[in-house]
Amino acid sequence: MPPLLSVQNASKSYSGNKVLDNAWLELASGEAHALMGENGAGKSTLIKLLAGVVTPDIIDLKLNGTPIQIRSAQEAFVLGLRFIHQELNVVPQLSVAENLFLQSVYPKRFGLVDWRSLNKKAKTMLSGLGIEHIAPEKKMARLSTGDKMLVKIAAALLGEANETASVFVLDEPTAALSSEETGRLFELIGQLKTRGCAVLYVSHRLEEIFALCEHVTVMRDGKTVASKAISETKQSELIELMTGRSLQQVYGKRGESVFQDVLLDIQRLESQKLKGIKFKLFKGEIVGLAGLAGSGRSELLRAIMGVDASRHEILLEGQPFLASSPSSSWEQGLAFVPEERRAEGLVLSHSVANNVALPHLNQMSHGGVVLKRRLQAKKARALTEQVRLKARGMGQKVKELSGGNQQKVVFARALAASPRLLLLDEPGRGVDVGAKVDIYTFIRQLSQKGTGIILASSDLTELLGLCDRILILHEGKQVALVKAQGLSQAELLGLCYQTKAAA
Amino acid sequence: MTRLGRLTRRFGTLLGFLIVILFFWFNLPDTFMTARNLLNISQQVSMLAVVAFSMTIVMVMNDFDLSVGSMASLAGIVAALLFSQGSSVFLGVSAALAVGLLGGLINGVLVSLVGILPFVATLGTLTIFSGLAFFVSGGKTIFGRDIPAAFSGFARAGLPLGTLNERPLLLPNLTLVALIVLFLVWLTLEHTTFGRRLYAIGGNREASRLAGVRVRLLRLLAFVLTGLGAALAGLMYASRVASANPTQGAGLMLDAIAAVFLGMTMSEEGEPHVLATLVGVLILGVLDNGLTQMQVDSYVREMLMGGIIVAAVASSSLGKQS
Repeated sequence: MPPLLSVQNASKSYSGNKVLDNAWLELASGEAHALMGENGAGKSTLIKLLAGVVTPDIIDLKLNGTPIQIRSAQEAFVLGLRFIHQELNVVPQLSVAENLFLQSVYPKRFGLVDWRSLNKKAKTMLSGLGIEHIAPEKKMARLSTGDKMLVKIAAALLGEANETASVFVLDEPTAALSSEETGRLFELIGQLKTRGCAVLYVSHRLEEIFALCEHVTVMRDGKTVASKAISETKQSELIELMTGRSLQQVYGKRGESVFQDVLLDIQRLESQKLKGIKFKLFKGEIVGLAGLAGSGRSELLRAIMGVDASRHEILLEGQPFLASSPSSSWEQGLAFVPEERRAEGLVLSHSVANNVALPHLNQMSHGGVVLKRRLQAKKARALTEQVRLKARGMGQKVKELSGGNQQKVVFARALAASPRLLLLDEPGRGVDVGAKVDIYTFIRQLSQKGTGIILASSDLTELLGLCDRILILHEGKQVALVKAQGLSQAELLGLCYQTKAAA
Repeated sequence: MTRLGRLTRRFGTLLGFLIVILFFWFNLPDTFMTARNLLNISQQVSMLAVVAFSMTIVMVMNDFDLSVGSMASLAGIVAALLFSQGSSVFLGVSAALAVGLLGGLINGVLVSLVGILPFVATLGTLTIFSGLAFFVSGGKTIFGRDIPAAFSGFARAGLPLGTLNERPLLLPNLTLVALIVLFLVWLTLEHTTFGRRLYAIGGNREASRLAGVRVRLLRLLAFVLTGLGAALAGLMYASRVASANPTQGAGLMLDAIAAVFLGMTMSEEGEPHVLATLVGVLILGVLDNGLTQMQVDSYVREMLMGGIIVAAVASSSLGKQS
């Protein structure tokens, strides 16, 4: 029997950069199939090819043994492929029943919508899938994320009368779900399997994959590196297959120094998303924050910076420190490089000089009032030279710069105050290799001058290469604080996944 | 885009302004381009100018203040009422400005601390201020002997520039006030840390907050300044017509926003600058003056002015898309 969906020789390059290189994938009817890999391994590109959103360079697709082509989202839909993303396209103002039947014709009576039979139809359908706790009359907006997802999957199942869905692609569906909601989702996926559908399940969560899936395909650097029955593999093997790379030279040499002076002493930190945070950071030390998506890495940085409210007892160089607002944190010698460079870091329509100077305008003015423009430009020039920014001049608009150079502008801003504590959120994301090396060099230089650095990253190589110690977060809780030296990627990933074997 | 294309887009509005001037100059050869008429225009637009300049402060942050017109009316009424009860000019003017400050503070609190959209918040306060102006004045116009000569005389006086045809040529006091406000707003927006932070907030509010800008405080302050400017304009108006009634500032708000928008067509990123707002104000003022002199019907005048505003903003928006 041929596989339900077969993908062979999938290749895709962007301006000479191979993001998919002969990748392959086979889905059998009635199975849940995990697709795994690090960020940038090619998973999402592969999914986009299936969704008809991205055009492949080469691909051989077969559905039930028949060659097919997917050139648009519409064609993917007609072939019975359904995609459930984290961002759900639901209509929050309408009821559950309406969201279910959005693509079909509502039942009518006397030319008006027959609400009673619409709700009844919805009820029958939901209970047929084992979803009995969601009332069809309820406004979609009032549902939890998990329930929205269940409705979305139910709606996808419904499809058009003559086109039945056969393949479901779920992209990190549980990232925002509670464990109870995850349980319900798994029951629904079980229903899909018994109906003979194939479920392609993309997730970083190893336990889920072992609980749910029959098969797993691992990708790395755009290639399919392995495809195995779940019963024939184990977590540590999957971790090695996913990472499989040695540390690169780009991270520079870790100093031999022994840290003595405590810079930051977080005695207690709790917020809506964080609990049990307690650690010390020494002067000149780089502490990494590791954890899965939703583990609270960014939230911890934002709490220390005073962006999000938290209850805390923190000492900064022995003095009580109150993280009340970003402005007071900058004034006390903290600097912050946020995760979303374009949305949170830069005023894109403004010049390099303005962006670099933004937190430091008081120091570049007469008495904090009248701006010294020449001084502003001079300081910006000195700082951007230090970070080796490639720009036409201080007046160039930041939006005209490449991703790497934009990141350097954010860095130059952080350097301007010679910070005592530097908070970095995904400093290497979306940055070309050349700029990465520059940025890592700077992080090292700063730490050698005594700046304490907390670096949150989803890139394990980055964490292991740069950090002295790594703090691992899991669902907002601090679960481990380990020395980076001698730690392997597999061990670190294991800690992130909270597997017993690696811990 | 070519260099030429960029230049015409940025200076298209200015070019249009010159064409309008040339048009009136040609059609009204004896009366338009005279020193007296130009000084007259400067006085006619002075109140609109003050409102538009202070409106620029909030529009720099992508915010709006719809309540400026009714704030101007209210401020005029407050001053006139105090005058009618025998208060000094100083007290009346100070009270009116204090009302502007307080009104601006209310707008600022609603927008910045409570988090209501500026459009909605200031639409609400527009109605409140307007109702308040009617309420405290009993809906009546305050005029005649109630208005002290020292107050109404201010608008009639000016700085002597010389004599022309044996009559003194004056730079009107109201024009002078508008010029001072222009200078202060220009200094604030372009050359103080406060102003630069307002521009940063307008460019990216979240990034500004994370970079340590006190977004809430600054937004609040900006609304206070706009309220103050509106009150000042209301006083200027009351002085000019030597009376106050609860609706006399009503027309200022839309014209002020139009002037800022006209000015915004002249900047590269579409952000407002107060000198560009000045051009917007002058365009509206010159059109109004010239069309009136050509005895164009006032309704036709309105349609023409509305059309020109839409055309200017549309051409700039199309230019940006290409």
